[in-house]
Amino acid sequence: MDEILVLKNVNKHFGGIHAVKDVSLRFNEGKVCALMGENGAGKSTLGKMIAGIYALDSGEIRLNGEKLVFDNPLEAQKKGIGLVLQELDVFPSLSVAQNIILNNMSFAHLEKGFLNSNNINEEVKPWLEKVRLDVNPGKPMEELSMAQIQLVVIARILSMNCRLIIMDEPTSSLTDDAVDNLFSLIRDLKKDNVTIIYVSHKMNEIFQIADEIAVMRDGEFIGKKSADETDPTDIIEMMVGRTVSGKEKQRSWATGDVCLSVRNLITPKMKDVSFDLHKGEVLGVAGLVGAGRTELGEALFGLEPVRSGSIRTEDGELELNNPGDAIKKGIGFIPEDRKLQGLMMSMSVQENMILSTLDDLNRKGFLDNSKIVKNVDSLIDNIRIKTPSGNSCVDTLSGGNQQKVLVARWLMVDPEVLFLDDPTRGVDVGAKEDIYEIITSLASRGKGLIFVSSELPELLRCCDRIMVLSEGRATAVLKCKETTQQEIMSYATASVVAGSKNKGATR
Amino acid sequence: MRLNEGVQSIPAVFKKSTGTLKKFQSFTGLVLILFLAVILSPRQHGTGRILFLTPENLSDIFRQVSENGIIAIGMTFIILTSGIDLSVGSLLALAATLCAKILTQMNPSIGQPLHIFLAIFLPLMLTTGFGALYGLLISKLNIQPFIITLAGMIGLRGFARFLTNNANIDIGFGDDISAVFANLISPKPVVITTFVVIAVIMSIILGRTVFGLRVKSIGDNSIGSRYAGIPVTKTLLFTYALSGLLTGVAGVLHAAQNHQGSPNDGVSYELDAIAAVVIGGTKMTGGKGSIVGTIIGVFIMGILTNTFRLKGVDINIEMMAKAVIIIVAVWLQQPRKARSKG
Repeated sequence: MDEILVLKNVNKHFGGIHAVKDVSLRFNEGKVCALMGENGAGKSTLGKMIAGIYALDSGEIRLNGEKLVFDNPLEAQKKGIGLVLQELDVFPSLSVAQNIILNNMSFAHLEKGFLNSNNINEEVKPWLEKVRLDVNPGKPMEELSMAQIQLVVIARILSMNCRLIIMDEPTSSLTDDAVDNLFSLIRDLKKDNVTIIYVSHKMNEIFQIADEIAVMRDGEFIGKKSADETDPTDIIEMMVGRTVSGKEKQRSWATGDVCLSVRNLITPKMKDVSFDLHKGEVLGVAGLVGAGRTELGEALFGLEPVRSGSIRTEDGELELNNPGDAIKKGIGFIPEDRKLQGLMMSMSVQENMILSTLDDLNRKGFLDNSKIVKNVDSLIDNIRIKTPSGNSCVDTLSGGNQQKVLVARWLMVDPEVLFLDDPTRGVDVGAKEDIYEIITSLASRGKGLIFVSSELPELLRCCDRIMVLSEGRATAVLKCKETTQQEIMSYATASVVAGSKNKGATR
Repeated sequence: MRLNEGVQSIPAVFKKSTGTLKKFQSFTGLVLILFLAVILSPRQHGTGRILFLTPENLSDIFRQVSENGIIAIGMTFIILTSGIDLSVGSLLALAATLCAKILTQMNPSIGQPLHIFLAIFLPLMLTTGFGALYGLLISKLNIQPFIITLAGMIGLRGFARFLTNNANIDIGFGDDISAVFANLISPKPVVITTFVVIAVIMSIILGRTVFGLRVKSIGDNSIGSRYAGIPVTKTLLFTYALSGLLTGVAGVLHAAQNHQGSPNDGVSYELDAIAAVVIGGTKMTGGKGSIVGTIIGVFIMGILTNTFRLKGVDINIEMMAKAVIIIVAVWLQQPRKARSKG
């Protein structure tokens, strides 16, 4: 077995943060090596260093014995290294085909002289077929869904004919179908002796696809194991450096009192959804990307126009024109995209936490500092946000702690109904546990929670019932104790015969 | 490498007080400019005193920066929301001409004090109203502030000229009501006090009120602000109305100090205000900045102008020097990232 890539004592600092600490690691040719670790463990940084996006502070990287020194990713591409980034860096107003050929050595001939869009579109077609993406290559990127964009990015990297591909969370917004396809593509690449470094959080994926698993923690390389000789528990222990508490299912706090009742809700994205949420209940929402999970929350939060149907709380029927209305009526919404929709990244932890409760935290318009500091500090302790102080900039916190700051904002609001849109996405294992704990404690206090997640085990563990959405409709409402992942997935992928399987939606 | 570590520890020390450091940086610039001004200043004939440091000169600077300062304070709020107001120059001219017009061409039989009050109050209402209109258009029509206020800049200049038929309206000569007005508003202490009071109040509003925090959060993340339930439309409306009001104040001061309401005054005032704001360390993308910084920026520009005037340097050279100052000042305030490569 040949070693294609050798890292030796690699270091990287960002300001005062030592992001990658003295990492020495070897990758074997033609293997899929998974790179795992909590958020902030240094996986992505390491990937970017290999691909020439970040320069090394010290140490060296050798590809086939040759020391790599480059200042930009194009040089990495020349050496046969490709990177699928976690944040999808695309040009939204350029077409799919243009996004694929730009700065792509394989299509350098197309970039000479004038661009001929017909030529370009023809040449990229085979690659789109390869990732089974059926879109017009002339379509602008911004009209594609997240999942489709991810496939375009993957097609682009495949077209480069790289010898080494680094994939950073390539499946974060893919449907199961597309994931299976991606895995078969990866297996094909392996046959051609291409090496893959696969960065992911998803344990089941790792064990499906990886030959070897390397684990990082706090910037350090912890160890590498062959996938055959290890198991998820083992890996998690390496990742967090401690044993994770058992996954026993919480007790249920659900009562018979309805705190939110939705009837025949129709919005631009939702087609007739009805359900009841009870006090103390955790209602899971499952469904594929694009099924309308986020849109449901946005409709409940006054962000999406309601065309028909009713939303009622104990106060009666609600008319929601903006989030401010929803908050006044006791509905909270924790958005999916922490950085875009959630936090003010250059503001402090404290400022981020109080933004939705400013009406309560002031005296005649002036910020009530003593009250603010008291509330904020006790909450920081309570839900264990790791921050030097409330005045630290949120940008300096790890992903998991940033997510907790966002959750904390809504804990300060303390709404009767809280909609959590994929709150554990891209969050490390430790912070996940803390978020589950927060959900449980809210339920125990009689709040109604709607918990959206792409990870079914998480839903099965935390929820009382799970509503499955497909194409804007509720295809089933299942009791957690009586269902399985397979059953949920079958409803999530089911094309709906209108309303027929809407069993027990109102219990 | 070892050398690098040494270098890195210095910012690490400073990082402990990032908040004060940000102010400190532009403050250092101010001290530097002051120092240069003293060195370059000519001596007074006869006494040999440093001309720059004479009380008359210092208070002159203070008076000269007041108009720009008041406008720049309003501009700070707008830029903090990641917006911009290009129309302040036209708005100032409109306020000044309307003020002069009310004083000289209208003759309500309401008594002098009330007449003067109206000459101040009505222009302020008008500019505040236009500001509020910008805020409303920007948030409701979802058009970029640059475009809305560009339209305002062109349209209001036309409006001001239309009001006076392109003529300057002279005030304050003789012994009529406009002279009373000019004598009331134009003395140095009045101008300077207005500026100081506004600066203090606005600094408190930005730093300690709910409104100030909302302004910053909209600039930091406008989508996130919506998701947090912040009343974005209302906040933007208030922000632009506030800037309109302050520009109106500057316009009234302008009319009194220049003894005229000219519809052609105030050209490129928006650029001076924006320059002062960025020199003061406020990010053009919004979210971060302070009134103190802006005041420092205003003074850096003002002292520079004063020094060049004392030396009798050509105004064109002054403009070139200002260009350099703007770039250097903003460059110095860039967040320091490790520039070295391994």
